[in-house]
Amino acid sequence: MKKLLTAIAAALAGSIAAEAAEPVKIGFSESKTGLFAQAATSQYQSYNLWREQVNAAGGLDVAGTRRMVEFVSYDDQSNPGKAVQIYEKLITDDKVDLLLAPWGTSLHLAIAGVIERYKFPVVGNTAASVQLRKLKAGNIWFPTSLFPDRQSEVLAALLKDRGVSSAALVTNQLPYTQENKSFVVPALKKAGIELVLNEDYPPDVKDLTALLNKVKNAKPDAVLAYTYPADAVLYMKGAREIGLDQQTQVVLLGPQYDFFGKIFGPARNGILTMGHWTPARKDWPSARAFADAFKARWKTDPDFLDAPLAYVSAEILQQAVARAGLDKDRLRETVAGTTFATINGPVRFEGVMNVALPTMISQIQGGTQHIVWPPRERTAEAIAKPAWK
Amino acid sequence: MADLLSGQLLIAALVLAGIYGLVALGLNLIYGTMRLLNVAHGEILMLGGYLAYWCFTLTGVGPIWSMFLALVLAGGFGAVVYRTLCRRVLRSARLIEQIEANSLLVLFGVSIILQNAIALSFTATARAYPYLDDIVRIGGFQVTADRLVVLGIGLALCFAVILFFRFSGTGLAIRALIEQPDAAHLVGVDVERMRTIAFALGFGIAGVAGCLISMLEQVSPFMGFPFTIAAFIVIILGGLGNIAGGLAGAAVLALIEVYGVALTSASMRSILIYGVFIAILVWRPQGLFGRRSVVR
Amino acid sequence: MSPPCFAALLALSAAAFAGIPFLAGDYAIGVALNLLMWIALTQSWVVLSAMTGYVSLGHAVFFGAGAYAMVLCFGSLPFWASVIVAGGATGLLALVVGYPCLRVRGPYFVILTFGLAELVKFVVINIEAALGQFGRLLFGGPGLAEIFYVVLALAAASAAITYSVRRSRFGAGLRAIRENEEAAETLGIDVARYKVLAFALSAVVPGMVGAAMVMRTTYFEPLDLFNPITSFTIVSIAIIGGGDDVPGPVYGAFFLVLLQEMLWANWPEIYMILLGALLVAFVLGVPDGIHGRIASWRRARG
Repeated sequence: MKKLLTAIAAALAGSIAAEAAEPVKIGFSESKTGLFAQAATSQYQSYNLWREQVNAAGGLDVAGTRRMVEFVSYDDQSNPGKAVQIYEKLITDDKVDLLLAPWGTSLHLAIAGVIERYKFPVVGNTAASVQLRKLKAGNIWFPTSLFPDRQSEVLAALLKDRGVSSAALVTNQLPYTQENKSFVVPALKKAGIELVLNEDYPPDVKDLTALLNKVKNAKPDAVLAYTYPADAVLYMKGAREIGLDQQTQVVLLGPQYDFFGKIFGPARNGILTMGHWTPARKDWPSARAFADAFKARWKTDPDFLDAPLAYVSAEILQQAVARAGLDKDRLRETVAGTTFATINGPVRFEGVMNVALPTMISQIQGGTQHIVWPPRERTAEAIAKPAWK
Repeated sequence: MADLLSGQLLIAALVLAGIYGLVALGLNLIYGTMRLLNVAHGEILMLGGYLAYWCFTLTGVGPIWSMFLALVLAGGFGAVVYRTLCRRVLRSARLIEQIEANSLLVLFGVSIILQNAIALSFTATARAYPYLDDIVRIGGFQVTADRLVVLGIGLALCFAVILFFRFSGTGLAIRALIEQPDAAHLVGVDVERMRTIAFALGFGIAGVAGCLISMLEQVSPFMGFPFTIAAFIVIILGGLGNIAGGLAGAAVLALIEVYGVALTSASMRSILIYGVFIAILVWRPQGLFGRRSVVR
Repeated sequence: MSPPCFAALLALSAAAFAGIPFLAGDYAIGVALNLLMWIALTQSWVVLSAMTGYVSLGHAVFFGAGAYAMVLCFGSLPFWASVIVAGGATGLLALVVGYPCLRVRGPYFVILTFGLAELVKFVVINIEAALGQFGRLLFGGPGLAEIFYVVLALAAASAAITYSVRRSRFGAGLRAIRENEEAAETLGIDVARYKVLAFALSAVVPGMVGAAMVMRTTYFEPLDLFNPITSFTIVSIAIIGGGDDVPGPVYGAFFLVLLQEMLWANWPEIYMILLGALLVAFVLGVPDGIHGRIASWRRARG
């Protein structure tokens, strides 16, 4: 009863505060339809979870004043051209107070020009490409550490540590996996790991048996499957079916998502994957709380990539607005010059990059995702992948 | 080279052929009979997939059983779509002039509605469930049980439809409609009824295919389009309205996907598929087993 | 409409559009740019598909191939020169593949063109992978206004092409092919040559449009530039507009672009569903397209 009363009181306080001040309008485009729709859902879910939490706590702290948060969002159809148009509309027509990022590298790159033209700061999230570093610093920042060049070095170090001396690489022809491939091939060579098979496959592939058969015959120590989520499923099913029994198997994109666990359950144990977030990190106290709130709100576990990153970008915005208010120039300075506390640990930007977060490699263990490399960051020791059951 | 003869590749090709054949079967009935460019085909599969997913998650009933429900529901939906929308396209003298483009637009509209209604109801998140994923060993190779089930049901359905066309009165009437639309009308085939049946059957089988596919991959609102494409390629390769030809088309596609990749490189997969498809059409403009009379 | 009349109207419309960058904000320019893009693409489609009856469901191939030509020229040629190269390249592509493809007819041709677009898409994906490219960033390209004027010129040019083909002996030949290809042949029309020419003619402008539009997003990714939805939208606009002449694509593009703008701004949650429903309703309710409906009103009023 007491809980209920405090809740009502809080809600009343919130609504009074909200009456006192206009809501803060935050705009973004979401990929509700098209190529990215499936992957982009968790970003939208994190944004909304954040908004609901902020509003339930009485509103967004705008340099001392509490104001409710209101979203203005449109479907960009996963189309970069459409996203450009939407951000132009959000800025000039809807006159939003703040912006959140769209989904994926291509859309981040596409809107970079618009926000530069209007000098409108945006904290990016779900983008990772070395090309992002070419963007002009000042209006866009990236909290992620999943940049393919760094990621490849860290992965090569992990493989070497596990005594891997030969590897097979199969790569989807889409940009992010191709970019990773272009960096991991030299990284493996440098680490003295022989690449015994290196083959691409197209994104619309329906069966990987023939390719995985070649992998099996090449008998590598490790298999690197540079997949997107849909073909990650094909890889897992195929690898299990023909019995690829390597103890080191890397699946790049896929294992991080809730549906992956639903299909494979314990069979995905020991799969290495990319990711720099886990609720298991004790020194990121809010990480667990975020995972629980997400699950309670959306009835699925957050993925280990986009959901936390989207939430981190909203947290950064929230903390920056608390200090700087809504003035674009002050906001820009604050984002660029502050260390933020987030569910993914501290965030501090230099140029467009987050320099406080090292690049890490994760592994599925016991139904969740742990950080296993580098050693000083890990939440669990890397294990050898058990045999397929 | 010994690889090529391995049972593992053979079974993979067979299973894939079964999937392609099953996916294309429903479309063949509709595009083959009425030349309605059914770009919503994949969305019916998607609906079947969702049905199977929810049946399994909420009640524990597997797709082996929910596919019967899918057959009925999707079939009913097909009859409704035909009666309310497609019949008008076929009846209007103006619309029939550009039947492909007009039906494309109508069914494109239907597919947009279905995709987005599902996305709105269930979000675009991918969903999946484990079912029959035990590994079966046959001789020297292994295969997951769900894939064998899809192969079995796919082939059974294809043969059932072939028999239906060969021996049942309704089937013969529909076949007459495919091969000689004008003549069929003259000899007293109830064109309207046959078309409704073809539509219901086409959608129903697509729903069943969706149910079964949901065992093999995750379902999401936008999963349908690649299946639509695959289905069109299969039935065009085999010759429109030719069910056995469709099976051959599915086999061609599966052989390229498995043996083409084994012989060249996986990166060539899609180039081979579309390249061979175009080459076959240029060589035989009515598909492998199509008849001249199908074309206006 | 007589040629001088048409020329005057075309010049007037182009002048009206040319004023937009001076008067409107970036958002409105973006909408107008979209409109012009679809007009240009659909006019080109009409030259082939509405006139000959060979329905192409793969016009995205020329859009994407043009964009790719631009990407390859980027940095070594000026913007406008790259646009022209792109047009030449896609025209050539159409000449090469046109003869074998146009032997295939009816429903088979529809899916063949679709397959062709996919084939070229995957060839480009493979080339990019072989070159070690992963999505190309195109910095330092032309501004919005420059792209806008190029696409405006292309829209005007494509309308002029449709107008003159429609009223030429060539156009009469194309329509004879649509009515009855065998009869056209016995009338002495070189059917094969006519079809290939129409195919090539309908490929040049989309290639140039694709080249210009890829600079709008400053990012090239084959899956996006060869998106089948582009092909579908072209067919939709042509059908909504109706007819095999200049006004159809203009009406259709205005209708679809403005409708989309209105729907997604006002009903962001369900606008795609509404759009789908309106497409269905439109075909069934206005089978002649907007052009046909306007023409019959005119006739009714005498």
